[in-house]
Amino acid sequence: MTPGWLLLIAGGGLVAGIFSARKSPRVWLATTLAGAIAALAAAAGMLASGAIWDWQPGFVIGGEAVHLQLDGISAFFLILLAVLGGAGTLYSSEYWPDTAHPASAPSGRAWWNGLLLNMGGVLLCANGLHFLIAWEIFTVCAYFLITRERQRPEARAAGWLYLASSHVAMVFLFAFFALLAARTGSWELGPMRDHPELAPLFWLALAGFGLKAGIFPLHIWLPSAHANAPSHVSAILSGMAIKMGIYGLVRFTGWMPAPHSAGWVVAALGAISAVLGVAFALGQHDLKRLLAYHSVENIGIILIGLGFAMIAAAHGNATWGHLALAGALLHVWNHGLFKALLFLGAGSVLHATGTREMSRLGGLWRAMPWTASLFALGATAIAGLPPLNGFVSEWLVYLGLFDAVSAHGPASFAAILAAVALGMTGALALACFVKVCGVVFLGRPRAEIAEHVHECGWRMRWPMLALGTACVTIGLAPILFWPALATAAATWQPAPAPILPPVSLVTLGAFHLALAALVILAAVFLWRRVQHNGVTRAGTWDCGYAAPTPRMQYTAGSFAGIITGWFDWILRPQRHAHLPKEAMRARADFAEHTPETVLERFVEPAGLLAIQVSTAVRRLQHGRVQSYIFYLLLGLAALAILAVTGGSK
Amino acid sequence: MIAAADILLRLAAWLLVAPLLPGIINKVKAWVAGRRGPPVLQLYFDLAKLWRKGTVLSTAASPAHVIGPAAAWVALIGAALLLPVGPAGASLSFRGDALLFVYLLAFARFCIALAALDTGSAFEGMGVAREVSYAVLSEAALITALLTLCVQSDSVSLATMLAPSAGTGAALLAAGLFGVLLAENCRVPFDDPNTHLELTMIHEVMVLDHSGPTLAAILHGAALKLLLFAVLLAEAVLPLGKLTLPQAAGALIAAVFAVAVAVGLVESLLARLAFRRVPLLLTTAFLLCLFALLVAWKGGKP
Repeated sequence: MTPGWLLLIAGGGLVAGIFSARKSPRVWLATTLAGAIAALAAAAGMLASGAIWDWQPGFVIGGEAVHLQLDGISAFFLILLAVLGGAGTLYSSEYWPDTAHPASAPSGRAWWNGLLLNMGGVLLCANGLHFLIAWEIFTVCAYFLITRERQRPEARAAGWLYLASSHVAMVFLFAFFALLAARTGSWELGPMRDHPELAPLFWLALAGFGLKAGIFPLHIWLPSAHANAPSHVSAILSGMAIKMGIYGLVRFTGWMPAPHSAGWVVAALGAISAVLGVAFALGQHDLKRLLAYHSVENIGIILIGLGFAMIAAAHGNATWGHLALAGALLHVWNHGLFKALLFLGAGSVLHATGTREMSRLGGLWRAMPWTASLFALGATAIAGLPPLNGFVSEWLVYLGLFDAVSAHGPASFAAILAAVALGMTGALALACFVKVCGVVFLGRPRAEIAEHVHECGWRMRWPMLALGTACVTIGLAPILFWPALATAAATWQPAPAPILPPVSLVTLGAFHLALAALVILAAVFLWRRVQHNGVTRAGTWDCGYAAPTPRMQYTAGSFAGIITGWFDWILRPQRHAHLPKEAMRARADFAEHTPETVLERFVEPAGLLAIQVSTAVRRLQHGRVQSYIFYLLLGLAALAILAVTGGSK
Repeated sequence: MIAAADILLRLAAWLLVAPLLPGIINKVKAWVAGRRGPPVLQLYFDLAKLWRKGTVLSTAASPAHVIGPAAAWVALIGAALLLPVGPAGASLSFRGDALLFVYLLAFARFCIALAALDTGSAFEGMGVAREVSYAVLSEAALITALLTLCVQSDSVSLATMLAPSAGTGAALLAAGLFGVLLAENCRVPFDDPNTHLELTMIHEVMVLDHSGPTLAAILHGAALKLLLFAVLLAEAVLPLGKLTLPQAAGALIAAVFAVAVAVGLVESLLARLAFRRVPLLLTTAFLLCLFALLVAWKGGKP
């Protein structure tokens, strides 16, 4: 089937899902999944064949002719959308059923399909006006999905913050597309690399798309929205919606000329987002909020790659730029896959225990072996460890950076800093995910709620299994995915010769395969040896303490204490301590909470100041005619002075 | 067939030599203190005994308690296969293997850390927290050291990176890498492998609840990691690629021995640092590597 028909089936399936969402969840499930599969087939076909699908049917929406295009970059992002959309659809049918949420589930399904449909629309639109329309609709659909539990004040606040920040981004995007249309004379989008006068518009795009992507100082909406949305929505928000910001940046840096400093700024923002994102993640006690901050980190890694690709493009198209770009693009997929897996796992924990508070969990592996092992798999992947996919993309970015260093070019010094930042980010992410897995799944239950839990059902398990399999496959056989990467990279910047994979990518895959096999083998071997020698069960060693309780286990806060101490200057944690001073004190307590520092220390004061200034200015307007005449006189006098002094020139 | 035999032979060499290093260190410490000390081969005896022993497993333990040490051990072996052995080269060498080396060490740390958190012990929580936190700084130093070698040799493959010496910045790099070696292998002044006070340890406290074969896997892995770092340090500093085969082999063995003696001397002459000073020392190691990088960058090329 041609891509056109497949995309028609995909769109038709999603629209049919919208109409069947309220009445018949089964029809909704079937049509939406069929739509996702069709979209996946269309995008995969495009990436395999490299043939661009272009469709101009000749009808007009909003005064502009419809123009849809599926090229390398669109198809690359569309695959991710189809996979995550399909996984989330199946997951939500068990996670957010009508029986538990009679009011919010049916309309939630409709908004969900609207979100998928319009994200797909953004990816396909080759017309600025339609791009904006689809962008706005998907933003609003996401708002209604985030506020599914609108009886909770936090969910309402999170939704409001999301809506407000998204519309600030929208203002930048309006300005960007309007100026672009004004300068090129048409809303049609396409390659315009030979218009150097368009370069300054890049900053508007960076602000607009960067807010959506959650680059560090602009990430304020992200943690609360991800934490308060239902988990399948968090998964698509983190896996795909913030990637739409990355899509915008990749798309328009590929089509348009960028200012000279653009690559440096993007790479610097990436490094800052990566390190500070993971630092904030370490300070969180809420499982989903922590995962949300890891999105900031991973967006940072993607931007480091993209930034260096842009620098390379500005400096004679060096080959290390291709590696950095390939790493960034592969990380888009990888982050989408493992972050969705982690959010679905977190949803499964939330479903079973009813809390996102890590200090109340513990020992869940016993009751939830599937969730625990799949979450551990996702954690290994997101920490960038071999043999999984996270390492492959970080490795490609590293290769680009190391090659940039040894090229002794203008980017060498920046590449050194970026490589060190990337290394620290990896180690910090490892620390953070050791904390999460250890505190949530290992040890003993810290509170009663964690004792009587149940494993999730198969409709929640299958999507996680599928995402986990994808992570493993990309990790073990990265070379299979190179053609897709090369097609997308060649669309970003047409190269004279096809972009070849680094020769060692095959070796890396083989090494990963051997490593995975040997790990399994060694584990089985050691297990049998332990069983063979005999096992005695005893309590955990507690230094001879007489009455150990599960509450004596190390907590998430204490675990991260050393590192959050290093980042005190930006995290600004609030500590409340009543420490025991005299002997035999009856009560002592300690609480630590990392606030939304950027939001509470910078954005909110600035907003309050704006309100105060506006309120002060409003006093001028009070309906007294005498004062208005006085304003008029003042104005006239000012004009007169201006005329007299100006006339003397 | 020959390649497989080669890999197996190297593997055997790595696995067999590794437990020797802690023995040498202990002998040096005993010698400085005027004691006779345990035999050099003590760790071999310990490992053989542990392998035959039964396990006391915490009632809270999950399968991660056994899978973790096994996976970490495999990851360290993988790292050993990537590291060239002087003139004999590495059994597996490809562009970018230097980064895989670093991340295999990280993977081993991840597995051991999860296996330690598994029993829900507060002590082990403390140890893991320290281990993964200090690793952030030592990983930054290690990446910087690799960047130095990369600038020197214009390569991202350990075999070519380690063949020439570290050039003008060799002393700086050696000092920085030695700091990383001490921290990553939990030696004095970062950690004290001898202490048995749970509150003050890093590595020892992480393995409190391990016993029998799993403890053997962890101890052997730790010895292997020490050897890996010693070989890396020796090869980064010495120009082994320019020597003849016997010379290079002799130089490598002597250098690894010297590193072990140096670790023993540091352990005898220094006290363990207070934990709040550890980051300072690690930052110093990072800065030493960074200065080596600057020297290599500015001074290495005409």
